[in-house]
Amino acid sequence: MLVFLWLVVPGPWPITGGLAPRVFAHYFWGVESTLYRPAPDQPLAFSHVTHAGALEINCAFCHRTVEKEETASVPAVEQCIFCHKIISGTGDAAVAEVQKLRDAFQEEKPLNWVRVHRLPDHVQFVHEPHIRFFAQQDPAAPLEATCATCHGDVKTMTKVKQVRSLKMGDCVNCHKDYNAPTDCAACHY
Amino acid sequence: MVQERPKHKWTMVVDIDRCSGCQACVVACQAENNITINEQRDFLQRRAKEWIRIERYWEAIDPSKPAEFPNVKARFIPIMCQQCDNAPCEPVCPVYATYHNNEGLNVQVYNRCVGTRYCANNCPYQVRFFNFWEPVWPESLRNQLNPDVTVRSRGIMEKCTFCVQRLSRARRTIEGRRGKRITDESMTEENLMPACVMACPTGALVFGDREDPKSRVNELLKEHDPRQAKSVAARGYRVLEDLTTEPNVVYLKKVDPHLKKVKAHA
Amino acid sequence: MGVTRRRFLTMAGVSAMGAVIFGGCRVPDREVLIQSPARLPEDLVTGIDNWYASTCHQCPAGCGILVRVMEGRAKKIEGNPDHPLNHDPVLHMSKTCARGQAGVQLLYHPDRIQGPMRRDRATGELLPISWEEARAELVGRLRELRDRGASDTVLVVTEPLRGHLGLLAREFVKAYGGQHMAFEALEETVLREAVKRVFDQDRLPDLDLANAEYVISFGSGFLETWLSPVRYGVAYGHLRQGREAKRGYFVQVEPRLSATGANADDWVYVKPGMEGLLALSMAYVIVSQGLGDQEASRLLTRGQGAQYLAAYRPQDVAGAIGTTPEKIEELALDFAAKRPSLAIGGGSAAAHTNGLFNLTAIYSLNYLVGSVGQRGGILFNPAPPVAGLPVAEGRVPFDRWQELTGRLASGKPRPVNLVVFRGANPVHSLPQALGFADALKNVPFIVSFSTMMDETAAMADLILPEHTYLEDWGDDLPEPGPGYEVVSYQQPVVRPFHNTHSFGDELIMVAKELGGSLAQAMPWNSFKEVLQAGARKLFELNRGSVTAPDFDSFWRGVLQRGGWWDTARRGLARPLPKPLPVREDPQFTAGEYHLLPFASISLTEGRGAALPWLQATPDPMTTAVWQTWAEISLEDARKLGVSEGDFLEITSSNGTSLEAPAYPNPAAPPGIIAMPLGQGHSSLGRYAENRGVNTFMLLQPATEKETKALAWAATRVTVRNTGRRSRISKFEGSVRVEALHEVEIVRVTKG
Repeated sequence: MLVFLWLVVPGPWPITGGLAPRVFAHYFWGVESTLYRPAPDQPLAFSHVTHAGALEINCAFCHRTVEKEETASVPAVEQCIFCHKIISGTGDAAVAEVQKLRDAFQEEKPLNWVRVHRLPDHVQFVHEPHIRFFAQQDPAAPLEATCATCHGDVKTMTKVKQVRSLKMGDCVNCHKDYNAPTDCAACHY
Repeated sequence: MVQERPKHKWTMVVDIDRCSGCQACVVACQAENNITINEQRDFLQRRAKEWIRIERYWEAIDPSKPAEFPNVKARFIPIMCQQCDNAPCEPVCPVYATYHNNEGLNVQVYNRCVGTRYCANNCPYQVRFFNFWEPVWPESLRNQLNPDVTVRSRGIMEKCTFCVQRLSRARRTIEGRRGKRITDESMTEENLMPACVMACPTGALVFGDREDPKSRVNELLKEHDPRQAKSVAARGYRVLEDLTTEPNVVYLKKVDPHLKKVKAHA
Repeated sequence: MGVTRRRFLTMAGVSAMGAVIFGGCRVPDREVLIQSPARLPEDLVTGIDNWYASTCHQCPAGCGILVRVMEGRAKKIEGNPDHPLNHDPVLHMSKTCARGQAGVQLLYHPDRIQGPMRRDRATGELLPISWEEARAELVGRLRELRDRGASDTVLVVTEPLRGHLGLLAREFVKAYGGQHMAFEALEETVLREAVKRVFDQDRLPDLDLANAEYVISFGSGFLETWLSPVRYGVAYGHLRQGREAKRGYFVQVEPRLSATGANADDWVYVKPGMEGLLALSMAYVIVSQGLGDQEASRLLTRGQGAQYLAAYRPQDVAGAIGTTPEKIEELALDFAAKRPSLAIGGGSAAAHTNGLFNLTAIYSLNYLVGSVGQRGGILFNPAPPVAGLPVAEGRVPFDRWQELTGRLASGKPRPVNLVVFRGANPVHSLPQALGFADALKNVPFIVSFSTMMDETAAMADLILPEHTYLEDWGDDLPEPGPGYEVVSYQQPVVRPFHNTHSFGDELIMVAKELGGSLAQAMPWNSFKEVLQAGARKLFELNRGSVTAPDFDSFWRGVLQRGGWWDTARRGLARPLPKPLPVREDPQFTAGEYHLLPFASISLTEGRGAALPWLQATPDPMTTAVWQTWAEISLEDARKLGVSEGDFLEITSSNGTSLEAPAYPNPAAPPGIIAMPLGQGHSSLGRYAENRGVNTFMLLQPATEKETKALAWAATRVTVRNTGRRSRISKFEGSVRVEALHEVEIVRVTKG
C-alpha cells in the first residue's frame, strides 16, 4: 500500500511523492514537465493566460530587455500601471488583484515575485544572444515561439511553471543541435 | 546554417621595461573578479589570493658581491596565469575542471572543480589559488560584487581568467549584436580589455587577439618575439620557457643601460 | 572626439534599489525572489551596465573616472578615456591607480556613518538624530556665537578645497566672520613656494616626462603618491618605450630606495637633506664647462659664472652629499647632454628644514638645459578659466597648526568655541609632540562632516556625515593640471547609500537658516546650483571641448564627458632665471638614526587605511601588508642583532616612542630607518583600527625655515631591539617563487 502510494501519489516533495514514476516518465517518454516543482503561488495572481493569451501582448512588451540584455527582466510596477491606471479588471477576483497592484504603486512598494526559472550562480545565461539566434534562424517566427522553446506555452499557464529541466544536459543538447558553442567558458566563468 | 564563428587567440604582452610595480593592476583585478578580501590572516598563512601579483626581486649590480646597499637593485615583474597552450595544470585534474579552449584560454570550470589542488601543485608559475574559506563580505560590501563573475565557494580553485566575462561580453556586443570583429579599439572603447590592462598606468600590460593581424600584441610580437624576430633588440621571452609550457603571456625584458655586455638571444 | 563616443550617460533619472547579489553555494533567500521595483527608472535594467563619468577624489590629483553602475550599484571604476589628466593618448584609454580602484569600497564600507549623530553630554555616547535636528543644533550654536560677537571663534577645517566648494567655503567663512584652515598632512607648501620663486607661477607646473630624454628626480615619488601619480605613470611608460628607438633615462636621487627609485636606471644615494647641494654642484659642473644655456648660466650666477658656484665643486662637496665627485660629474654631464632633460624634486627633499633651498636649486637646473616651458621639460598651467576659482582654498603651512594648538590649549588670544571638520583628520596626522588632540578637547563644540568615524570625528559632538564622492556633486581643477585649462565635474553616480547629505548643500542650508548677510552671500538652494552657475560661465566662453547652443545641452555635455577643457589655452609663461640659492644645510635633532617616513603607495598618509583592498595591497618594495614596519639596513640589522619581524623600539628625539617589526631591507642605507605612514588608527572602521603604528607620532615638529611647512623628514631617532618578535605579514613567500628565474634583462651598451 505504502509503496503504491509512494509510486503514484504526486506531491511537491522531491524524494517521495511520485518521484519514481516521474523519472520513469522522463526517461522513457520524455514527459519532462512532470519532473519540476509545481507552479509557485505568487504575491499577485497575475495571469499570463489573460495577458499573453487573450490579449496577445507580445512577451517583450513587459519583459523589456529580453532582446537586448542578460535578463528578460520583470516589469516595474509602474509599467503595469500604464494600462491598469484605466483597466480595473473584470470580475471581483481580478478587481481585487488589480487593486493590490495599484496599492503597491501608491505605496511605492516593490513586488517580490517567487522565481520560477533559476539557474545556479556558476551559470552565466544571457537571453539576448539566444533570442537573436532564433530570430536569425527564422525572421518570420514570432518572438513568442522563441520564448516557448525554453519557457513552454506560457500563455496557457494561469500560474507559470518550469517546463524544461534547464540543467546542463538540456542546455548542451540544444547547443549541439544548433551548433552553438559548447565550450565550458561559454557559460561558466 | 552553420555560422562560422570568428577565431581568437588571446594573448598578453607584459613590458617589464614599463612596469613600475605600482599595484594598480592588483587592485583592479580584485575589484573586477570578486576576489575575497585578503585579510592579514591570509597573508600570514600564505593563502592570500592575487590573480595578478607583482613580484619584486633584489639583484646585485655587481654579481660577484652580495646584494646589499649600495650594490643592489630591485626589479618588478607582474605574474598572472600564463594561459599555457601546453598547461601542466590540465592533465593532472582528475575531473577535467581545467582545460584549454580554442581561444587559447586555460579555463577553470568552477562547478567541476572538487578541490584536489593537484593543478596548483603542478603549476610552475604558482598562479592558482585555493579557496580555503567560504567567501564572506560584510553585507554592504556585497553591493560592489560583479554580477558577471561567479563567486567561488569554499574548496575550489581559482585563477586569472584574462577577464573572460569581459571577452564574453565583447563577443556578444561587438561580434553578436554589431556583427563586427573584436579589435583592440572596440574592446578599449567598451571598457572590455581585462581589468588589469585597463588600469595599468604605464601601459606595461598589453592584451589582444593574435588572430587579428592589426592588434598591438601582434605588432609587439613581430618586433620582439624571438620566434618571429631575430634582432638583438628583440626583448621578448616567455617565463620558464624551457618547461615547454607554451605560455600565451609574453614578457618584454627590462632594458638596463648599465650592463655593458651585449647578450644575444640563444 | 564626439560627445557620445562611448556609452557615457548623464544622470538621467534616479537610480534604483535592490541589487541581485550572488552568494556562495547555498541559495540565499533574495535569489529565490525576483523583484518588480515600484518605479521605472531609466538606468535600472538588470544586466545592463551604465557608465557615468565623474572625478576621482581618493587623492588630490583629481583624475577623470568612469563608474560602472548596474542596478543602482557602483561596481567598478575605470579611467575616463576623454579626461586629459590620466589619458593615455597612444592607447586611447585612461588609467587609474590602486587607490582610485578602491573607491567603490569607500562607498559600500560597512562602517560608514549612516546618519547624523549627537553626543549625549551625560553618557558621552553618540545618538542618532534627524538632519533637521542636527542642523538646528549647528545653526543654534553658530547664531549664538555670532550674536555674542564671537564669530571669529568659529573655525572651519577642511582639506585644501578646489573649485566651487572652495568658493562656497570662502563665501561662508567670509560672510560669517569665522576662519578657514585647510589641512594637508604631507603639505606641498614648499613645492608651491619653490615654483613661485623659480618660475613666478601660482599653479604647479606639468612635468612632460613623456617627451624627456633624461629625467633626474630628487626625492619625488612620482610613480607612487606624489602629486599626480597616474598622469606621471602614463608619461613614464612613454619615457621608457613609447618612442621609436629612443628610451628615456631616469635617475632618482634620494636617501632611501623607494618604489619610484627602484624603477630608475640609476639610484643615487644622498644624505637626507643634501639634494639641493647636489643640484648646485651639478650646476657648477655645467656652468664651469660651459655646457648650459649661456643666458641662463649668466642669470643663474648673477653674471659671475662658475665663480658664483665655486664653493660647490664636486670634489669639495661630494663628501657632504654622500656620493662621489665622479658621480656628480656624470650626472651633470648627462643632464646637460641628453636634452630635453628634466629635473624635478619633492617628497622628502622638500621635507627638511632647508626644503625650499633644495627645491629652488633643483628646479633652477631646468633653466640651464632650456627645459623651462619646453617640450620634454617643465610646462606651465594657465590660470583657471573662470577667474577666482580656487585651486587650494585655505591651505596653511604647519606653523599655523602649531599656533592653533597653542590657541586651543590656552584660549589666547581668542578661544575657539566651535570647529567644523570636513575631509581632514589632523588628530591622526599631526605630530604627537604638538599635542593637537589634547588641545582640541578644550573646544566646547566640535562638528564633523566625516563619512567615516576617523580620529577627529570620534572627538566630535555633532556628526553630519557627508556623501562619498560617488554620491555627490562637485567640480575640480586638477592641481597640477595637464598644461591647459581643465575643469572636471563630479556627479552622483548612485543614490546615497546612507542617510547622508552633501557638505556643500549643508553649508548653503545653514547659511539660509542663519539668515542676514550670510543668506544674502549664499543665495543658492543647492550646491548643484552653484556648480551650474559656474558652468554657465564656462558655457559663455563658447570654446573648449564642449560647446553647445544652449546651457542645458552644455551641462549635459560636460557631465557626459566628465568635464570641460580647452587644449588651446596653455600656460605660456616664459619666466626668467633667478640667481641660484646659496647653500643651506638641513638641521636635525640628536639621534643615531635618521627617520624617513614615506607615504604608503596604497594608504598614502592614512586616508586609504579604511579600505580592505588597500590594506591588502602589498608595498612594492617589501610586499608587506596590513601593518607598519620599519625598514633597516642589513648592516644595522647585524649590528643590532635583529632579523625580520623583531620588534624595534623607535624613540624620537622628542621622547615619543613606537614599536614596529623590523624589515631588514637590502637596499636600505645604513643609518636610516624608513617607516610607512598611514596606519595606527584608533578609529577608522574595522579594517583600520588598532593596526600598526602611527608614524606621524614620532615626528619632531620641525619646520622648513622659510615656508614654515612641516619638515617631516627631519626627525632623528634611536632604535632598540625589544627582543619580541612576530612574523611580518607580506605577500612575498606566499607562492614558491624560487621556481621562477630572475627577471631577464636586455644588456645593451651604455650611451
